[in-house]
Amino acid sequence: MPEKELDRAVQGEYKLGFEIDIEQDTVPPGLDEETIRFISRKKEEPEWMTQLRLKALRRWKSMEEPRWGHLYYEPIDYQSISYFSAPKKGPESLDEVDPKILEAYDKLGIPLEEQKQLAGVKVAVDAVVDSVSVKTTYSEELKKHGIIFCSISEAIRDYPELIKKYMFSVVPMNDNFFAALNSAVFTDGTFVYIPKGVRCPMELSTYFRINALNTGQFERTLIVADEGSYVSYNEGCSAPMRDENQLHAAVVELVALKDAEIKYSTIQNWYPGDEEGKGGIYNFVTKRGICEENAKISWTQVETGSSITWKYPSCILKGDNSVGEFYSVAVTTLAQQADTGTKMIHLGKNTSSTIISKGISAMKGQNIYRGLVKIGANATGARNYSECDSLLIGDRCGAHTFPYLESKDAHGQVEHEATTTKISDEQLFYLRQRGIGEEDAVSMIVHGFCKEVFSQLPMEYAVEAKALLNLTLEGSVG
Amino acid sequence: MSAIMKIENLHATIGGKEILKGLNLDLEEGKVHAIMGPNGAGKSTLSKAIVGHYDVKITDGDIIYKGESIVDMEPEERALEGIFLSFQNPVEIPGVNNAYFLRTAVNAKRVHEGKEELNAAQFLRLMKELVNELGMKTEMINRSLNEGFSGGEKKRNEILQMMMLQPELIILDEIDSGLDIDALRAVSEGINKMKDGKRSFLVITHYSRILDYIQPDYIHVLKDGAIVKTAGAELVAELEEKGYAALEEA
Amino acid sequence: MRPVDLKGISGKRIMELSLANKSMERAAKRLAELGIPDRKSEEYRYFDIEPLMEKEWEPAVKRRPQMIERAHRLVITDGMISSMPEGLEVGCSDTLDLDVSHFDPMYYFGHLFGGDILQIRVKRDMKLEIKHIFTQPGKLLTYRVAIYVDANVKLGIYESFEAEEAKNALIVSGIDLFAARDSRVALYKDQTLFESDYTPLFSYRFKIDGNAEVKFASFDMGSGNGLQTLHAQLHENSSILSDHLLYAVENARRGTVSKFVHIGRSSQSRQRAKSILADRARGIFDALIKVEHSGKYTKAHQNSKAVLLDSGAYMASKPQLEIYIDDLEASHGSTTGQLDEKELFYLRSRGIAYEEAKKMLILAFANEIIDSIDDENIKERIHSSFEYSYYGKNIIECIQTCHGCEKTVTMSQND
Repeated sequence: MPEKELDRAVQGEYKLGFEIDIEQDTVPPGLDEETIRFISRKKEEPEWMTQLRLKALRRWKSMEEPRWGHLYYEPIDYQSISYFSAPKKGPESLDEVDPKILEAYDKLGIPLEEQKQLAGVKVAVDAVVDSVSVKTTYSEELKKHGIIFCSISEAIRDYPELIKKYMFSVVPMNDNFFAALNSAVFTDGTFVYIPKGVRCPMELSTYFRINALNTGQFERTLIVADEGSYVSYNEGCSAPMRDENQLHAAVVELVALKDAEIKYSTIQNWYPGDEEGKGGIYNFVTKRGICEENAKISWTQVETGSSITWKYPSCILKGDNSVGEFYSVAVTTLAQQADTGTKMIHLGKNTSSTIISKGISAMKGQNIYRGLVKIGANATGARNYSECDSLLIGDRCGAHTFPYLESKDAHGQVEHEATTTKISDEQLFYLRQRGIGEEDAVSMIVHGFCKEVFSQLPMEYAVEAKALLNLTLEGSVG
Repeated sequence: MSAIMKIENLHATIGGKEILKGLNLDLEEGKVHAIMGPNGAGKSTLSKAIVGHYDVKITDGDIIYKGESIVDMEPEERALEGIFLSFQNPVEIPGVNNAYFLRTAVNAKRVHEGKEELNAAQFLRLMKELVNELGMKTEMINRSLNEGFSGGEKKRNEILQMMMLQPELIILDEIDSGLDIDALRAVSEGINKMKDGKRSFLVITHYSRILDYIQPDYIHVLKDGAIVKTAGAELVAELEEKGYAALEEA
Repeated sequence: MRPVDLKGISGKRIMELSLANKSMERAAKRLAELGIPDRKSEEYRYFDIEPLMEKEWEPAVKRRPQMIERAHRLVITDGMISSMPEGLEVGCSDTLDLDVSHFDPMYYFGHLFGGDILQIRVKRDMKLEIKHIFTQPGKLLTYRVAIYVDANVKLGIYESFEAEEAKNALIVSGIDLFAARDSRVALYKDQTLFESDYTPLFSYRFKIDGNAEVKFASFDMGSGNGLQTLHAQLHENSSILSDHLLYAVENARRGTVSKFVHIGRSSQSRQRAKSILADRARGIFDALIKVEHSGKYTKAHQNSKAVLLDSGAYMASKPQLEIYIDDLEASHGSTTGQLDEKELFYLRSRGIAYEEAKKMLILAFANEIIDSIDDENIKERIHSSFEYSYYGKNIIECIQTCHGCEKTVTMSQND
């Protein structure tokens, strides 16, 4: 199966750049209180939610777009974006989902049909097209375990207490410019709740797709793992090829209560634009998790898409003995720019964090690792280990490492290592002497470089990630 | 007797410096040729030139392999045609699994020869057999390619690859360096097993020790970029006794 | 004299100064671009610059001495030369080949408000000692020094500071070093500060031409605040070795912000920082290596190690790489932790008291940098500076634990 996947992958070009031809219900571009009310009304939200959105909008208006990233792009005109787009046919039940959407998800290789099982593993999927969750699978089966897996709109309607308690608790609405924007206009996303002591029996998964023209996608994900529970969650994404840039500003909040564990994996493959930097998604994402005592949050990301990536999945290690992990592969080729990394905030005693970041730059790609490790004064016995390696392919790309390591003496240890290399001629030659073609040899070395990160992904996603990596690097080698 | 490889008037430079200065050498099918010579004579450059190493620039002359010039061929093409070099210092490649790498190489060769690819099970069975035969630890199958291997382990791994790839011309560059006596025995047993009357060997060595284990048919002495003497196995004893300097007078 | 209000410096005043000449005009332009540093300035992120910049400063008076004495060293008192060795070529000028890409606004501030630049030209191999003396408490002293080292010349500089009468002063200064082709320059800066001493904001600029080699080593010690910023530009085959030993105690905030730019091919940089932080001291190491597209075959290595001795100590480490070419070797590493338990235990198991074992390990940690000084004389002086500030701080502890000081103990008991 891996071979088949690889074969499928090595076709070059952005393969997911098709457009779904479905009728859209789209609000005209622009952002003011009226837009917010419109979205809220469309989603039949309770008044408290509308008020929260309006508050976020007011906050956002007083904030400035951050420019500290090592990123170069034309200013974004926030009034030219449409903040709501939904397939016109509202999918009330699973049977009503527009067959065209199902077909589209089929093209993406996402099993929406419940009987379809990937590699023998059950995967429950929530699919989000533009702003609206179109289908959630397996939710009935999950309900038996008391697990809630639904769109965030449904959650606001059906589980207001959980939402009120946890939404904005990890990423406050005024956390940063993009988080504030999302808090005002978020249209859908996924909500997961795992009750006490429950080990979620299957992988949970959400696929996001931006389809409509001139729209931004602003989804919001909230995962709450109650005491002693476990969940593994995956997200994937894609967008059609378009000449103009599209904005994606998402927020993800994770809450891992005492002894809970959340594994969050992302395969990000938004349209990257072309070699001249034309088109592509601007991906400004805020992801953060909070760990209570003995809890563990593990972020794994494979970032191959988007023309601009700005995201730092972070862990607040509040509880004693809690653990945070960040594993990342970021590939920038064409004219892509990625400023990504993590923040590990150690507050509790004996907390530990691990950061493994692998950046690969090819063609004109610019890859930036930016990370913060902070050991608080009370975090006695805290430990961090970071390793940030960059691989350069070709002489027009760039690789940059900007770690911030702040340590209060709490009998902790912070260790950071970074290297920047190119593929060595010697390694390449060795493989070629054994009869392996140049491109395959490069791909083999690159995969070896990323291995530590891929091994963190659930098996079937690791296959997808590897295929995606090959696809992305296709044509940028040599 | 037909020659598997003919090297004609080979001139080659490394970093702009001429190392091989008109080297002529015929390698016979099914025979073991040993190249001996002092340090800096150009022994490793010769092996690099044959496999198309990026360091070496051929400025004149030709290398004919099975009747065709190979000097313009890519390294992997030469490998697929059956040329195998056991490297003096095999490089470490972190993260690339040994078995995965070797299976890719074996299957590339099989596809090139129009054969079915080996599936994972077939391949592993074969690999395990040879790993045991060479006295290697089975855990190295799943380790990263050469990473953290001892000198002996690396050399055994080279021989393992050789046995899996079944090449026709085998170049052994200082195969005995850094080997203890047990490893040396295991390695040379592997090599001797490959002798089938068709396969040819080019053993490059500074010391004669390895030649006690692998019986050469011909000894060539390489000095200052050219072959200065060719003789039978009896030359080993003579070189051992008198050293390379004695050749000056000869 | 009119007080200088840093944040309130008007565009008008800068305009006036910028009219003087081309280099002043450039300095004014760059200062306007970068702005007077504040809380949000990345290069002053961990330093707490705001209170210094908000204060209204009265400029220090620069007095031209009656006559310049002959001495074995160059002495600069409040920004003016008061004595100098025979044969040293020194001049004053208000123009300079300014570094137009320094990241530190205070570099430009220094050039704009520092008056004439003391310019030293070195034409033959020599050793030079520069002593800076500050005498005016509570004032803002601004001056710059430029050193031109001719091609193929070998120069060793030892820079020391004396400021017993300059409490609470702010010193904005630094050196522009021009290392011509094939020159070899070593610059050792030995600066111990005590709380309520002056605060140095020193910006260095190293222009390193082809094949030239610069070694910079700073030995920053004590309880006072201070920041040095370094900007090095490396041309073909040139190299910089930069070592920073920091020993900060009490409430000190002290450190290095640097940016080494590899412009030419085959240039090399190696930077080592070792920080020992006690009490509530904060150490800063914020260092960027940038390899331009033209910097093929660069070798750049950077390493920071910090030891935190007390629970209030704090280390901010920001080792950074910015790379635009694939054919190079670059790495950095950073560790922050405590003294090694195993080593401590080993020493104690051999009968060495805990405090003594700690000292041994700290000295060993520091000596790795001090012992790499080639010049025996300078090495000796730095050893004694370090020991002075190290034992000076621990004097009470020393009296209590050191058996050699029984006399002192008796005396203090009598008190």
